[in-house]
Amino acid sequence: MNLPAKVDVEKDKLRQMHCEFNPLSRCDGSVMYSQGATVVIAAVLGPIEVKTQNLSIDGSYLECNYRPKAGLPQVKERIREAAVRDVLELALLAEAHPRSKMSVQIQELEDRGSIDACAVNSACLAMLIGGLPLKSSFAAVHCIINEQGDYILDPDQSETLHQRASFTFAFDSVEGNLLLVQTKGAFKIAQFNDIECLCRAASADIFQFYRSQIAKYHGRSEAIAEKKKDESSSMET
Amino acid sequence: MFMNSNLFEPGKSKPERNFVQLAVKQNQRFDGRRSNDCRDVVLTFGADWGTVAVSLGDTKVLTHVTCDLGAPTTSRPNEGKLQLNVNLGGVAFLDEVQTTHDQRSLTLNSLLERTFRSSRCVDLESLCVAAEQHVWCIRVDINVLNHDGNLYDASTIATLAALMHFRRPDVTFADDELRIYTEKEREFIPLLFLHYPVSVTYCIYKSSGQPIVDPTLLEENAADSVIVLSFNSYQELCTLNAGGTAPTNVRTIMQCARNAATRAKAIVDFIRKALSMDEERRLQGSRLIQGLVGLIGETAHKLSFRKLMGQQNQELQAPINEKMEVDNKPIAKPEVEEVKTKEESSKQETDIPMDSSSWLPQDEDSQELPTPSEASSSKAGKGKQNRSKSKGTKKKLPKKQDHSDSEEEAKQVI
Repeated sequence: MNLPAKVDVEKDKLRQMHCEFNPLSRCDGSVMYSQGATVVIAAVLGPIEVKTQNLSIDGSYLECNYRPKAGLPQVKERIREAAVRDVLELALLAEAHPRSKMSVQIQELEDRGSIDACAVNSACLAMLIGGLPLKSSFAAVHCIINEQGDYILDPDQSETLHQRASFTFAFDSVEGNLLLVQTKGAFKIAQFNDIECLCRAASADIFQFYRSQIAKYHGRSEAIAEKKKDESSSMET
Repeated sequence: MFMNSNLFEPGKSKPERNFVQLAVKQNQRFDGRRSNDCRDVVLTFGADWGTVAVSLGDTKVLTHVTCDLGAPTTSRPNEGKLQLNVNLGGVAFLDEVQTTHDQRSLTLNSLLERTFRSSRCVDLESLCVAAEQHVWCIRVDINVLNHDGNLYDASTIATLAALMHFRRPDVTFADDELRIYTEKEREFIPLLFLHYPVSVTYCIYKSSGQPIVDPTLLEENAADSVIVLSFNSYQELCTLNAGGTAPTNVRTIMQCARNAATRAKAIVDFIRKALSMDEERRLQGSRLIQGLVGLIGETAHKLSFRKLMGQQNQELQAPINEKMEVDNKPIAKPEVEEVKTKEESSKQETDIPMDSSSWLPQDEDSQELPTPSEASSSKAGKGKQNRSKSKGTKKKLPKKQDHSDSEEEAKQVI
């Protein structure tokens, strides 16, 4: 299969991101999100009624499901699901809706690399558009070290065939705290630190993408969103 | 405090039912369509072979076909396997509202099984590599993304399109050794089809005799009965699924069947056209393959029924409307012509005067109908071909043959 490889994008840049809000009609918020050729669809529903066995009086119960394109979820998909759930549990403002359930469903449409990061990002966008309470938004970035020892940010599937190590980092938007680290393969601690910096820088691009897309969806032009951002940053300083 | 599960299902409450019933009585639909208008069908092909996303209005279905080599069943040692898996949960939130063994999932599953497996649309014998040892197992995963009515049509269109789009690797079996070739070594092979079935759904209400095609979720839930007819491109009936409580005139069902056959043919033509466009794109170069990214926004990768079939659709629309009006009279015009051509060919063997009145009721009371029509139809049927069909479809038998005989050379379908 000839894949649309990541030819036109530099190694230290993210692939092009696209998203469409609320393509589905039966949920509170949904988003179709793509990074390069990887496409996922995420939907949230909540707060809704919870089964008594999962009921908690001091916070809402979070249900997170990831479904692969073909077949039933296997171990790989369960790990991915757990990663998304971990990040969501850290970011979700569970105290806002006790005795209830938040349901997040993620459906893989096409996997062309960095599916873990895409799943996390789509979950965040779906939560934002569905109006579910979050402490902060979050973004995940995937990065690999290839055979030559180069760092490739947000690799395409064709590039991940020969890799030494792969990393997935998730950061929150307020303080830039690490929410998730997933590593695979052998690497030096210096490389780990380098890649963390690289991913942290790239996560800023994703947050910017969130901001502009949501501003666009709510009928504001990008220019206004930019201006707001400048104002808020000047106020901080 | 929390949302009632009924809230997720439009059309389940009494006021909504009354509203829809009244609207149908006045020949109105909530979305402004006429009773015989279908929603637009949009196909998007993925980057992999056998990945298709279909949207029918707001109903969205993703189908993915995969294959692997396995052992055949002992009863059919020289046939491949076709497995259909329907997945209603996930982003569609359908399992959420109802119990796991949901009526909806069962009906959908059985409809797909009957439409694609029982009708034997895929040539399974061509999927045999070595009898009793290795056969291809084709697995179709149907993921429902969004349910806004008429899941049946969306899933059958998606399944057919995915199966037609799918290509399997070439394989050789020599000296007890299987060799699977990659795409670079040998080109992938598409599946072989015996016929191409697609379903069309109608809703019938007690308040009105006019059935409505392609119902939305609101209309589907408020309907008294739902009829699903699967026709193939040779306009032969593959499946009939009729349920519900509305007493239905035979003539209404016949009218549905006739329109469904035309619609099914148009849909299959559309899928063929979309596939050829997709192939063209693939030939032009890998950079043009966008895959399912094409789902986002308004892109050229979405292949819409209205756009592709624009001209043909209009041509088709005219005869359909004509038929709908003509149907109120006992003898339909197009049928007469077909009957004539058939009569010429079969004059010698059958002396039975061929008129559509044998199967189309002339009187209002359809109660008396089954006995005479069945008798004459079975006579007429024996003259042509000995085809035994499922019991539920007896009334449609003669008509089906009318069509298949006059259409492209009819393939023998079991």
